[in-house]
Amino acid sequence: MTKPTRLFLFVSGGILAAGLGTGLVAAYVGGFQNLSLLAASGPEELSYLPSDAKVVAYANVRELMDSELHQKLQALTPRNGNGLARFQEETGVDVSKDVDYVLAAIGGDVSAATPEQGRPLVIARGRFDNVRIEGLVRSKGGTVEDFKGVRLLKASEPGGGMEMALAFVEPGLIAMGNDAAVRQAIDGHRGSAANLTGNADLTRLVKDASDGNLWVVARFDALSAAGNLPAGVAERLPALNWVTLTGHINGGIRAAVKAEARDDAAAKNLRDVVQGMLALAKLQTGQRTDIAAIMDSIELGGDGKTVSLALSIPIEVVDHLASLRTPGRLTPPPDAPEPPQAPEPPAVP
Amino acid sequence: MSARPNLPAPPTFWNGAVRVFSLSLGEMLWSRRTVFLMLVTGMPVFVALVLRLVQSSGITPVRVNSTPVDGASIFGGMIWIFFLRFIVPVLGVFYGTSLMADEVEDRTITYLFTRPIRRGAVLVGKYLAFLVCTTLVVLPSVVLVYFLLVPLSQVARTFVAFAADLGLLALGLAAYGGLFAFVGAALKRPLVSGLVFVFGWEQVALLVPGYLKRFTVAHYVQGLVPHAMPSDGVAAVLQAVLRNNPPAWLCIAALAGIVAVSLWLGVKAVESREYVLDQ
Repeated sequence: MTKPTRLFLFVSGGILAAGLGTGLVAAYVGGFQNLSLLAASGPEELSYLPSDAKVVAYANVRELMDSELHQKLQALTPRNGNGLARFQEETGVDVSKDVDYVLAAIGGDVSAATPEQGRPLVIARGRFDNVRIEGLVRSKGGTVEDFKGVRLLKASEPGGGMEMALAFVEPGLIAMGNDAAVRQAIDGHRGSAANLTGNADLTRLVKDASDGNLWVVARFDALSAAGNLPAGVAERLPALNWVTLTGHINGGIRAAVKAEARDDAAAKNLRDVVQGMLALAKLQTGQRTDIAAIMDSIELGGDGKTVSLALSIPIEVVDHLASLRTPGRLTPPPDAPEPPQAPEPPAVP
Repeated sequence: MSARPNLPAPPTFWNGAVRVFSLSLGEMLWSRRTVFLMLVTGMPVFVALVLRLVQSSGITPVRVNSTPVDGASIFGGMIWIFFLRFIVPVLGVFYGTSLMADEVEDRTITYLFTRPIRRGAVLVGKYLAFLVCTTLVVLPSVVLVYFLLVPLSQVARTFVAFAADLGLLALGLAAYGGLFAFVGAALKRPLVSGLVFVFGWEQVALLVPGYLKRFTVAHYVQGLVPHAMPSDGVAAVLQAVLRNNPPAWLCIAALAGIVAVSLWLGVKAVESREYVLDQ
């Protein structure tokens, strides 16, 4: 090996080693903030969610609020901001600025008649005024207790309904929902109860879905129970285990729905059904150029036990659809001119 | 009759490979191809330097929907656009296919094959030289881009992703290099086949729903990327939507399998093929 070769190896290796060393020291000092990325399995707050969750949903509120689509929709249909303004006044939380992302889960028996049995839980990351929120809960007759070193605010629904709880689990992180669910979230994160990261199926699905800024992973039976599908319809649907919806909203909308069937045959059956429905829909919408653009973007895919349906709506199509809702288009068209009078029949001699 | 002098025993396969490696590394590093490699890997460093200079002058260099994009996200985008989609596959094709083809073209393969080392060791030694040469050019370039774009305050948050990037780029170079080393040893016009594979087959297969993407190297390399895929075109949007990431262990196993099988096939091809030099 010649001297220039050795020098090159030394310099290159030195840059690499210096970079890795600096990064390693900085990461060690910073406490390896994203070590969970090694598993790359979604937001780190997953450890607060129950291992038996039937529905898990995520929304990156910050990205959604900043998205071009949201700005356009807001300009098009300005919302009545009274509700949000009142909420901000009472809690000090401006939803459009102070909430970064929200993670929600429903554990337990979601088909149960009452929400207590469904155990809903919402985890929100952002900037919250703890004192103001606590004051609000107290003013509404709520109580405050200490649960394993975490401040737990509790309030009951009027009429003795579900007992709600809110906990400041970490700086900038709150957990709220059913009392039992919030307590389980604290236990789960501390390792004294099972949490979602121990559920291999769900972790895998969440990892697959977490590309988008909006996603939902749900057991199909939970969805059909919550949607109260008629028995006849539910029986005819292919046997599905999980359904995943991933959306990426920015300029336009990209969305993908994935269903995981119980076996290959059920998946093939569903693909055939969806393919037929898509063909029918394309025939029906062939004359409508605005809808045809969306229909053309739909891609059916999947293999083995999975069926996937991807859809892309560019911002131009959103603009076009929005233009159809402009006031000018909603006004009724001008009256048609009166038809000319028919000529008198010739007089019979 | 005098006794025949004892000849030294021929080197083992691995000793032979190491000798070819040390011989080839210097040649490879100072070849014209490496000048091209340095230009290609210098491009993202130059872009990162420009972005850094713009940023230090108080201007936000990249905005999406009027929202400033932070350095870590720009770095993630550059890993996708420069390194994964271009540099790694292109270096794999250009270097991998030329490992044996250059010796044939220069008519120097005879000198290597008349040495008392196995033919397969020549390929393995050259492959190791390729790996050291390319990783020691590509990875320092990634390090420079990272530290130019990502402020030190964000290093703690992004270091694991950065380390994963270095690992997956090294794995990608190893997999593409191994595959095209075999192609170069087995086919007569390996460069054309390699370019068709990288810019034809892989691009199409990644866009088609179904299992075809499993027969690409990019599917497994991209499955390890810790950054979101940039939506910089219709094909990228479709790829992102139709992406079905295999688990990390499967990606690593698949890439290691591609390296092992390709090298084994390459060794078999070199040992069985008769190289006819043009007169």
